[in-house]
Amino acid sequence: MPEQNWLNQRFLERLERLALRWRKSFPGLIGGRNPSRFGGPGMEFLDHRHFHHGDDLRAVNWRAYLRFEKLFLKIFRIEPHAPVRLLLDVSASMQVGKPSKFDYARQLAAALSYVALVRLDAMVLVPFADGLGSVLRCVGGRHRFAPVVEFLSELRPGGRTDFLETARQFVGRFPDRGMLIVISDFLDDADPIKALQYLADFGHELVLLQLWSEQDRVPPWEGRLDLVDAESGAVLELDFDSVARDEYTRAFDAYCDALRRVALANGGRYLGLPTSLDLEEAVFGLLTTAGAVQACSS
Amino acid sequence: MFFLNLSLAQFLGLLGAGSALVVALYLLDRSRRREVVSTLQFWIAARRAPETRRRRRIQQWPSLVLQLLSLALLLAALGDLRVGQRGAQYRDHVLVLDTSAWMAARVNGHALIEQARELARAWLRRLPAGDRVMLVRADALATPATPFTTDRALLDQAIARSEPSATALRLDRALAFADHARRGSGSAGEIVLIGAGRIVPEGAGETPPLPGALRFLEVRGDPENCGLRDIVLQRTREDPSVWQVLVKVRNYGQREQVRRLALAFGGAPVGSALLRLPPDSEQEASFSIRARAAGWLEVRLLGRDALSQDDEAVLELPAVRPARVLVYTRQPELFRPLFSASPWVRAEFRSPEAYQAGAPGDVVVLDRFCPPALPQAHSIWLDPPLEGAPVAVRQSLAQASLARWRTDHPVAAGLRTRDLMLTRVRVLAPAPGDVPVAEVEAGPVILARAAGTKMLVFGFHPLATAMRYEVTLPLLIANALRWMVPEAFARQEVRALSAGTLTLELGEEEAQGVRVVGDDGRTAPFTLEQNKLELFVSTPRQVRVLTSAGERVLSLTLPEVAAGRWKPPAGIRRGLPSGRVERRASLALWPWLALASGVCLWLEALLYGRLVRASAVQRKRFAWHLLVARWRQAGGTRP
Repeated sequence: MPEQNWLNQRFLERLERLALRWRKSFPGLIGGRNPSRFGGPGMEFLDHRHFHHGDDLRAVNWRAYLRFEKLFLKIFRIEPHAPVRLLLDVSASMQVGKPSKFDYARQLAAALSYVALVRLDAMVLVPFADGLGSVLRCVGGRHRFAPVVEFLSELRPGGRTDFLETARQFVGRFPDRGMLIVISDFLDDADPIKALQYLADFGHELVLLQLWSEQDRVPPWEGRLDLVDAESGAVLELDFDSVARDEYTRAFDAYCDALRRVALANGGRYLGLPTSLDLEEAVFGLLTTAGAVQACSS
Repeated sequence: MFFLNLSLAQFLGLLGAGSALVVALYLLDRSRRREVVSTLQFWIAARRAPETRRRRRIQQWPSLVLQLLSLALLLAALGDLRVGQRGAQYRDHVLVLDTSAWMAARVNGHALIEQARELARAWLRRLPAGDRVMLVRADALATPATPFTTDRALLDQAIARSEPSATALRLDRALAFADHARRGSGSAGEIVLIGAGRIVPEGAGETPPLPGALRFLEVRGDPENCGLRDIVLQRTREDPSVWQVLVKVRNYGQREQVRRLALAFGGAPVGSALLRLPPDSEQEASFSIRARAAGWLEVRLLGRDALSQDDEAVLELPAVRPARVLVYTRQPELFRPLFSASPWVRAEFRSPEAYQAGAPGDVVVLDRFCPPALPQAHSIWLDPPLEGAPVAVRQSLAQASLARWRTDHPVAAGLRTRDLMLTRVRVLAPAPGDVPVAEVEAGPVILARAAGTKMLVFGFHPLATAMRYEVTLPLLIANALRWMVPEAFARQEVRALSAGTLTLELGEEEAQGVRVVGDDGRTAPFTLEQNKLELFVSTPRQVRVLTSAGERVLSLTLPEVAAGRWKPPAGIRRGLPSGRVERRASLALWPWLALASGVCLWLEALLYGRLVRASAVQRKRFAWHLLVARWRQAGGTRP
């Protein structure tokens, strides 16, 4: 899929004003934008502690020493670089509905990758279905955006979603904690809540971006239906009417609410995005409001 | 009870088709569809047990019956179902008013059309108020003046505006049109013909195919009338200034008439004849008048009669315009017999020294003489000198026999003289575009050139050879002049005829390239079949028929008075109806049927519509949730 069909130049220029934002404190090399509770070399004063052998003499508070004749060390708040990983659902269910959730997910992933590249954040794109796929590490500025587009273009949807197996493989492969953006429809027959809780317990900051098409939430059909599961191929025969549709939508909304609760309970963020929503509006409206990205002055 | 807009078969056919469609849609609505979804987990929560009955079986009979009933009621409303007898409703009539030229004839000081108007109004007054009437004005054409309407004021207005036209009544066309219009309406009434029964001779004595329910209201009165039928003027061949005039006069009445026919040209009397016309007969009178200049010829039938429009005709005569030939020669006595033989040619002889390139003339003859500047008119070069000749000379021969003529060229048309010995002849070298008219064995000796002004070049002097004594020479010169100035020799005919359909017999050679031009300069439509030209003129006007052989000026200003009398068959109704008939209209049910159809649809939606079913289920579910909530408040667990 050509790049210009995804993100036009004007949209990319607007994206350059944004930066990814995480709330948790992660250890790491300085140079990021989000403050951490970990002390270290920085600009903002955090605390004092006793001087120990080997500490940097430049951080000694000499005024306190003249007063108390004891060595105190000034501790500063660090702003570390945190690793950012983006889990992109490429299961078969992502191509159900119009417009395609898969295309929308790829555009959203490309937009977030561009934001990360511009701010020199280290982004790892990880496609998944029933396990992790091949990974792309992208870092080093906006001129590295072309490989991202190429990588996303070559992705093909297929397979069943298995969040538990995906989480297990992810934890084994990326042991250091960081920001974890999950773009998916979260429609796994097994309960994905457990897997997400597992990732959160491991220390990752979850940003759950749930995509759905209109027919996923409010099916337009009525009457006697033979429903085929896009991933498993299972067939369900049922009579469907407006009452059942309300029941369905209620169940769907309850499920989305459960996902939201998992994210918020673990200090993360959740955002539900219908594919009918314009991508630009989603990024600059909902994502900004939810705090997943923020506008930067520089 | 009957349908006004549909037959029973149409109603049943439509109902059957509609019912089949409704049943098909009903079954299709309950058919199963296959859809691919992202997951089944939420569907299971909303699952309802599928109905195990076969989908091709009708499961809700009352719903289907209500739908079909609604459809049947709607169709009945569209078909305009009525209660009562079919013949009791209001009817559509066609009033055919004769507006032919004959209706302008006056009897006792009143025109026939006035009587026709009175009859039309009287018939309208006796018609039920709800009956619709279409007024058709009938002459050579049938023209509807109003649509079917119950508006009596509009009909009165249209009747008052009906005036006699210039054409005769074509009864068959008028009745066919009226019958067609009446059949097109829903409830056919009468066709009422009001007229004097004068129709064109084609239909006289015969009964055209009559439609049913025809009523004839005859305009009474038998006007005595004589009129001009046809006036033909042709120039004589011998003297172009003499016109032969042929006038046809007809007596349309029942009594013998003695009338004087008078001709005047430019206001001066030029001829007169006393005609004794037996009843219903036609006579011809011929005159010869001399007129070189253009002018107006008036032909009058003196005396008074019922129709004055056909007693006078005025025709425009064109001036005589012979071909003007300028002959530059030193021997005019040689040429004088040649050019003075025809009255259509006026020759003028001049010496070569008096040559002027722009001298007024149609044709210039140059006798062994090459002018310093080429003439601006068509030219005939006789044995031109080598220097300055318009055509190169290939060789000179002392004697040569004329071998062949190019008879397909207009100059050599009809010439067959061969073995004519020519002395001192030059063989000409034709340029591209030149046509050899006559040839000896060595090559052409007469060439025709049609580019620009026409030119004919002789390689010898025809009056200095043996051709001088042959009949070929005057024919050759006549052909050359006709080729160069065709308009001077064109046949001229002026005719006064009546308007309407006109048929002209054309000669074989005339039928090529025919044009008909009106007096406004526009081309008029016509048909040409087997050398018969037919055109139709509805209003008096002048037209010109232009053919390759000449021009015919047709002054179609005489009214077309029908000579035939129509005898109505015994079976048709005649005279005004006895009294005003009021009919009671049948009861129209369509509003009630449409209302009933809507009620059925509303009932079906109320009882079996999805929205209603959904709201009923929602009410049940709401009651269940309320029960569970109250039970929880009481400290219990979910049942």
